[in-house]
Amino acid sequence: MPEKTYREAIHDAMVEEMRRDETVFLMGEDIGSYGGAFGVSAGMLAEFGPERVRETPISELGIVGAAAGAAMVGMKPIAEMMFMDFILLALEPLMNQAAKARYMFGGKATVPMVVRMAGGSGTGAAAQHSQSLESILMAIPGIKVVAPSTPYDAKGLLISAIRDPNPVCFVEHKVLYKVKGEVPEGEYSIPLGVAEIKHPGTQLTVVSSGIMVSKSLAVATKLEAEGISVEVLDLRTLRPMDNEAIIKSVKKTGRLLVVHEAPQTGGWAGEVLAVVAGSEAFDYLDAPMRRLAGKDVPIPYNRFLEAAAVPQEADIEAEIRAILSNKY
Amino acid sequence: MPTPFIMPKMDMDQEVVTIISWLKKEGERIEKGEPVIEVETDKITSEIEAPESGILAGILYQENEEAPVTKVVAYILKEGESMDSLPAAGAPAAPQVAQPAAAPVPAQPAKPAVPATPLAEKVSADLHIKLDQVPASGPKVTRKDVESFAESLKEQGEHRVQTPATPAARRLSGENGVPLDAVSGTGPRGRVQAADVLHQAAAAQVAPEKPFKPASKALPATAVPFVGKRKRIAERLTASYQSIPHIFLTVEVDMSAAEAARKRVNQLAEKQGKPAVSVTAFLVKTVAWALKRHPYLNATLQDDKIQLLQDVNIGVATALEDGLIVPVIQAADQLSLAGINEHLRYLTAQARAGALTAEEVAGGTFTISNLGMFGISSFTAIINPPQSAILAVGTVTRKPVVVDENDTIAVRPIMNLTLSADHRLVDGAVAAAFLADLVSALEAPELVLY
Repeated sequence: MPEKTYREAIHDAMVEEMRRDETVFLMGEDIGSYGGAFGVSAGMLAEFGPERVRETPISELGIVGAAAGAAMVGMKPIAEMMFMDFILLALEPLMNQAAKARYMFGGKATVPMVVRMAGGSGTGAAAQHSQSLESILMAIPGIKVVAPSTPYDAKGLLISAIRDPNPVCFVEHKVLYKVKGEVPEGEYSIPLGVAEIKHPGTQLTVVSSGIMVSKSLAVATKLEAEGISVEVLDLRTLRPMDNEAIIKSVKKTGRLLVVHEAPQTGGWAGEVLAVVAGSEAFDYLDAPMRRLAGKDVPIPYNRFLEAAAVPQEADIEAEIRAILSNKY
Repeated sequence: MPTPFIMPKMDMDQEVVTIISWLKKEGERIEKGEPVIEVETDKITSEIEAPESGILAGILYQENEEAPVTKVVAYILKEGESMDSLPAAGAPAAPQVAQPAAAPVPAQPAKPAVPATPLAEKVSADLHIKLDQVPASGPKVTRKDVESFAESLKEQGEHRVQTPATPAARRLSGENGVPLDAVSGTGPRGRVQAADVLHQAAAAQVAPEKPFKPASKALPATAVPFVGKRKRIAERLTASYQSIPHIFLTVEVDMSAAEAARKRVNQLAEKQGKPAVSVTAFLVKTVAWALKRHPYLNATLQDDKIQLLQDVNIGVATALEDGLIVPVIQAADQLSLAGINEHLRYLTAQARAGALTAEEVAGGTFTISNLGMFGISSFTAIINPPQSAILAVGTVTRKPVVVDENDTIAVRPIMNLTLSADHRLVDGAVAAAFLADLVSALEAPELVLY
């Protein structure tokens, strides 16, 4: 199986879907001749032309509003937010229009749009270009939120997102763009709303997504050498959340740690804990459930402070050890 | 309602126990598991533990009375309870109404010991309140009782969850029937973890309360008729041991000189083609010599007279397959060592052949019993009436002893002699004097010539 980067996998998914379905098109800032801020759409202007790879003015409100409108009249737009942070400018068309149209029109209108966005810290892009805003997006019914952790998942999930009749926010992590992984040629899809056990284990479940999956996996592999068995569950889709998989895993391990980069307060870790606390898995808990999340601070520019603001491998390892040694 | 204290049944066919003592008095506080009654069955004495904590009350059976098993013998009062709340005064059998044998009891969940209305049971289950903690306002616990009890718990700020435990530990505690308060928690602040419960459950399994007991089906014993010689031996020895106050004195004898003398004698015997002299024969000769000097050891007690005998007739206890017989060497004091040896050999052979005459076993005035050939180091013997003493002879063992006043230690052949004497005739000092002479003669055999 060929190895591809996360960036290439996303590129391939878009290209393949645009070749397959002529209603699929791109909109965004600098996505044409520049190839996108992170080079995801490199070369696509040449293949599909300016009608289907549409450069837009610097107006996220305009991009998402136009995409929502196009989707309602039968197109399948893929809108790119150069940085996830900028989606805040487009919340009105996203949350008030796209999220609600299908419900308000009794199913007569669908909004099959994808809003791709590059989120997360780790590139020295400072407080206004490094946020993880998944929890804000997840809070609005009618929107699906996907956050792939590997090139394989990125391609399969994006294809599903493009074909889904609802608005999907597709959250890509900037640091993952260069990460390589096995990606098969040709069409395949991964259903939305299905989590995956990336590393099976028996003593503790780590629930995470995106970049935190890679970090958790590194820790799980390290601890495995010591005989500590950690299960890493990659949610892949944050909304709808795969509650069943979470409950099943926690019933097996009896301990839960949720890891995400977004700030702790109001973060989606709380949602996972609530799912477990209210489920049959509660009776299997043998330690308090814990969450390890970003600090409640704007992401600093200084790279040491930036790293300190979000969970790192050492933090995850220390937290797992603390839970397993009954520190809490 | 008071908790009945039921006498447990300890054996299959047991019906009653005898109460030896109440270790606690009525009105005294008892703790669950604490011994309260000492009882005796026809097999064992046992302590009966309190089934619950509370105040001991209403003792129905006094000490030295027999109490039926599986029945109430007393009551245990919880706080606020009194004996007045028993359903019917003077009806101790009430708590365990016998089920009519003909009416099969449908399988159903164990009913709580506390009478309660069905609604109260349901409400208590819903509120997770133990029914037996709910005080009843009437004959039965009602829904209102349960609800007001629940309300009072809230007011007191009492949590029904007393033992800190993880949810998993709680679940496993129920599944394995291990009460949480019986588990020592290893988690933070003593919290019970799942592993603690499993550990406790495993420990309970490997440590059953009662060890496995093989089926006590008694195998048939071999019955030997208790008649004839055996019975006579039994009667004589029982009579002797019960009527004669025995005293026992033990001495050690250095047999070096005796062994050397016997060796020289036997060299001569060999030359003459005669049988070798045995240790017993040597002993008989020496004892006869000593007895002539200590008449109270060669005496009988007849009515109000102590008969100090002239004859020295020494019996030598001889083991047979089916018992014991004591042929007598008559006038041993007048026989030479060779003569004693010949008599002894003859009598022993007759005894083993079962051919001893009545004369050959009669008239003994003293007995020697030698178990040295079996390796016995020392023992005590029972006097053979109407004699006044018997000498028990142990084996000769080579062992280190102090041989002079400079504490020099040497290895010597040592023999233990234990004299049993009838204290009615023989005082300790008299017996000791006889033993001292005997020891002297064995350690210096030439004295016998004197």
